[in-house]
Amino acid sequence: MDKPISTSTHNKLRLERYIRTAIGIVISAFLFWRIYNVVVLQQHFGADTWVRFGLSGLILGGMYALIAIGYTLVYGIMFMINFAHGEVMMLGAFGGYFTFEILRFIPAPTTASPDLNFLNANPFLSVLLAFVVGITISATAGFYLEKIAYRPLRNAPRLILLITAIGASTILQNLAMLLFGPQRKNVVNPDVLDRAAGWVINVGGNDVLISYTGVFSLVLSTLLMIGLFILVQRTKLGRAMRAVAQDKNTAFLMGVDVNDVVSKTFIISGALAGAAGVMWSIHMGLVNHFTGFLPGIKAFTAAVMGGIGNIPGAMLGGILLGVIEAIGPAGMGIDFQLKDVIAFSILVLVLIVRPSGILGEKLSEEKL
Amino acid sequence: MKRIVLFVMLVVAFVLAACGPAAATAPEVCNTELGCAVINKDQTVKIGFAGPMTGDYSQFGVDMSNAMKLAVADLGDVQGWKVEMAIEDDGGGAEGGAAVANKLVSDPTFVAMAGHAFSGATAAAMPIYEKAGIPMMSPSATNPDLTAQGSAVFNRNAFTDAEQGKGAATYLYETLGIKKLAFIHDGTDYGQGLAKVVEETFVSLGGESVAFEAITPGESDYSAPLAAVAAAEPEAIYFGGYNAEASVLVNQMEQAGLSGVIFFGGDGIYGKDFLAKVGDKGEGVYAATLVPPGTDAILAFNEAYLAAYGTEAGVLSAYTWNSYDAVGALIQAINSVAIVEGDTLYIPRAALVEAVRSMNGYQGIAGVISCQENGECNASGPVFYIVEGGEWIPAE
Repeated sequence: MDKPISTSTHNKLRLERYIRTAIGIVISAFLFWRIYNVVVLQQHFGADTWVRFGLSGLILGGMYALIAIGYTLVYGIMFMINFAHGEVMMLGAFGGYFTFEILRFIPAPTTASPDLNFLNANPFLSVLLAFVVGITISATAGFYLEKIAYRPLRNAPRLILLITAIGASTILQNLAMLLFGPQRKNVVNPDVLDRAAGWVINVGGNDVLISYTGVFSLVLSTLLMIGLFILVQRTKLGRAMRAVAQDKNTAFLMGVDVNDVVSKTFIISGALAGAAGVMWSIHMGLVNHFTGFLPGIKAFTAAVMGGIGNIPGAMLGGILLGVIEAIGPAGMGIDFQLKDVIAFSILVLVLIVRPSGILGEKLSEEKL
Repeated sequence: MKRIVLFVMLVVAFVLAACGPAAATAPEVCNTELGCAVINKDQTVKIGFAGPMTGDYSQFGVDMSNAMKLAVADLGDVQGWKVEMAIEDDGGGAEGGAAVANKLVSDPTFVAMAGHAFSGATAAAMPIYEKAGIPMMSPSATNPDLTAQGSAVFNRNAFTDAEQGKGAATYLYETLGIKKLAFIHDGTDYGQGLAKVVEETFVSLGGESVAFEAITPGESDYSAPLAAVAAAEPEAIYFGGYNAEASVLVNQMEQAGLSGVIFFGGDGIYGKDFLAKVGDKGEGVYAATLVPPGTDAILAFNEAYLAAYGTEAGVLSAYTWNSYDAVGALIQAINSVAIVEGDTLYIPRAALVEAVRSMNGYQGIAGVISCQENGECNASGPVFYIVEGGEWIPAE
């Protein structure tokens, strides 16, 4: 009597899939019609404006991707959403800000310019220092976050871990507000990395500025992502991480130190968030205790869109989300205030057609 | 039988309690629906204030409450009773506004409200004060709609967004000679309302509105909306919103290809806090505000403010002086209706609401407060400031 039941279930599943695909096609068709209408028929914006949108999206997307990798790594190994991840990034951003502030007050006079400070005398070293400080702070925060908030709950139901993560996020945010004050702080870059400096290219008769800070962020986030991919795929630690992600107990029996791997995962995800935070402070120029919250939520969305638990998926999701946010409202011909509507509509669309994200869950085989 | 005796005794006790000493000596004027605030010898008269005391806009709440504390220290006397500020954090939004209003009206010694600071919170709180008979005098809630709702209790000595917007549009078109103006607003009651008024006036003067974009408040990257505005090639950008977003916009304007375009804001961006956030990118930014030119009274206040808080007045927001005046005006109104009977101060609520609404010629430090029938109490127009050499200075 097994057969008829399984066939009917099978048919039902197939029907569901058809309906899903149909809905997906209808929404996609509407989107494309609307974009065609606005972009091709109305020609409200010139080519230079589209290049500007694209650049702004790529830069933001690169940072989203770095943060999203942190979500995905932790999810892949612990099956939990680390909602305090955005706050870890915020701490990194403050690390960068304070490094610049301190270096700005260290005099480094030369004969040519007597009131030169360390920041402008050694811009390369200063930026490097900012990254070292930011990454160290965030990696430490990630490490202790896991040790204090999550490790005691390792075997608790996942909902409890989620609530703990939200609690940790609130605590870190308020701590930063009490320590540094609620107002936004202006990050003063070295003169060579001025936010308005960059290469000027000519697109369709108009000048488009490609800022150094933007290119710097994009290149650095790409390098870090490649580095992480190599770490996970080619090193011993990476293999241990993948083993823990597949099956914690078996990995333990095979001699993998699970606690150590989890700790290191949090350190790596914290370090990436820290790098994103320093980039954020260098490129955006304003930081406060709330800096990490929105990017954190966006990066989580990006991780889900790309397939949570999947590292290339998080990269793709991050870049895609950044570009959609920048180009979407203009492409659809609606207000920029509604960019989140477009981003989340795309997310829903992706989840309808591919419930496990664009690239699917690859890192983790064990679901739920 | 015993039971009946007990019952009768209980009734007598209740009746005695109800006609206790308070009822016996309460003045005639308290026999209205709203009644009186009854303040005993050891209590204080409370004037409320609510604004964002934490978060991105906290400088407004902190600054205004600071000025109000100075006002009660200088003028806080109602026929021998001390006046005290009841300061609450409403976060600036509607939910916080209603919650704070409910909390404040539950205090029987709370008689008047010098707020709220933000228009959104004020709109949500108005009906609650209306019910409780609490007159309001907001130094900063500038949304035009607020006085159009026919509220009996809402008054403001802030000048309205409509006045400010008309002034700004005229200044942009006539004084600065701008013909193509782009608009960015933050979608709030204040920002969007202001941008709309400026756009209407600017277009009616003969100018061209080339873009009207909304941004999401609280973000750190507005390069995409700025690129869309840049595509329209405006000569100036009018921004309706507060300094948190304005500082991000000003920081990113050059990146988006808007160098040399004038950035013009409202009273929400005026203040030294904005200058600290934008650094030298703020040069040439304009703001329309109600900060008055320095008279003796203002200079004396500025000195007191600096001595009390270690910050110069006007650094945090433009509403400092108006906040002082709002409390001063409310205290005068309370004094005009308060009645002392024995050891108790009675403040008839209905009469106080009327006294504030009919206020005429109160001389504050920032100007004269005379209320019209709809609750508009400030007649002075906006003053224009420009950033030069890292300072706000009055523009031509």
